[in-house]
Amino acid sequence: MQLARRRKPSALISMTSLIDVMLILLVFFMVTSTYLDLDMMPMVQSSDEAEAPPGTSAAAGAPLLVQLSAAGQVRLRGQVLEIATLGAQLADMVADNPGLRVLVLPSGAADAQALVGLIDAATAAGVTDLRVIRPEGGQ
Amino acid sequence: MRLKARRGLTMPDPLVSLIDVVFFLLVFFMLVGRMDATAPFDVSPPISVLGEDLPTGGLTVSIGAEGQMALDGVELDAAALVARLAALRESRPDLLVRVNAHGALRLSILLPLVADIEAAGVGDIVLVVTPNPI
Repeated sequence: MQLARRRKPSALISMTSLIDVMLILLVFFMVTSTYLDLDMMPMVQSSDEAEAPPGTSAAAGAPLLVQLSAAGQVRLRGQVLEIATLGAQLADMVADNPGLRVLVLPSGAADAQALVGLIDAATAAGVTDLRVIRPEGGQ
Repeated sequence: MRLKARRGLTMPDPLVSLIDVVFFLLVFFMLVGRMDATAPFDVSPPISVLGEDLPTGGLTVSIGAEGQMALDGVELDAAALVARLAALRESRPDLLVRVNAHGALRLSILLPLVADIEAAGVGDIVLVVTPNPI
């Protein structure tokens, strides 16, 4: 038995060029798009005031003041400390007083990276109530 | 004289689906590419170990190392930026502002600006950080 061979349907437009265009578009957008893996750190939260009005916190004792110098050095109770040492000391204090409030007083000349490093160390030590005091003037 | 009616130009089915795919890819990459509001200056956010996931939506305030400022890619000075945020806050009470500051930016520029944005009525402000892959 002889079967009739099916005729190939002829395309109106050449597919090859369209696929080329598609590839060029794909490569263009993949190269020009920037995929940044970024995180965030809350600075101001609308729920802050409702959660912990100033002065009514259950935290026992006075808040702890941590100073950040222009050179990025951390000072606690008059002692200049490494970030790792500060973390260990804060962890001990948090173990004694879980509601410890930490106030960070940065120099205006310190940079954002130093402040973020300090906040990281305090958060890792278990500090849950940390506030940054705004320096007056641009020292 | 009788003219022959031209036959309508019909595309074959596979071509239609291919064009759909092209449009889908175009829209996808254009949207994904817009996710990062680029500033007209260099901004390398500070590195943090304990950052949280960055929320989507809201506006991005970029601040360069020298204190240059931009709102969603448009360069502005501090007063104009705060005024614009205050105006936007009127129509969007739950406005979120992402502060994308350079790691080397002095705190004497960053902290007063954040305080001004808060005073303008913005209740949610987050600082963008780069996760540190330890």
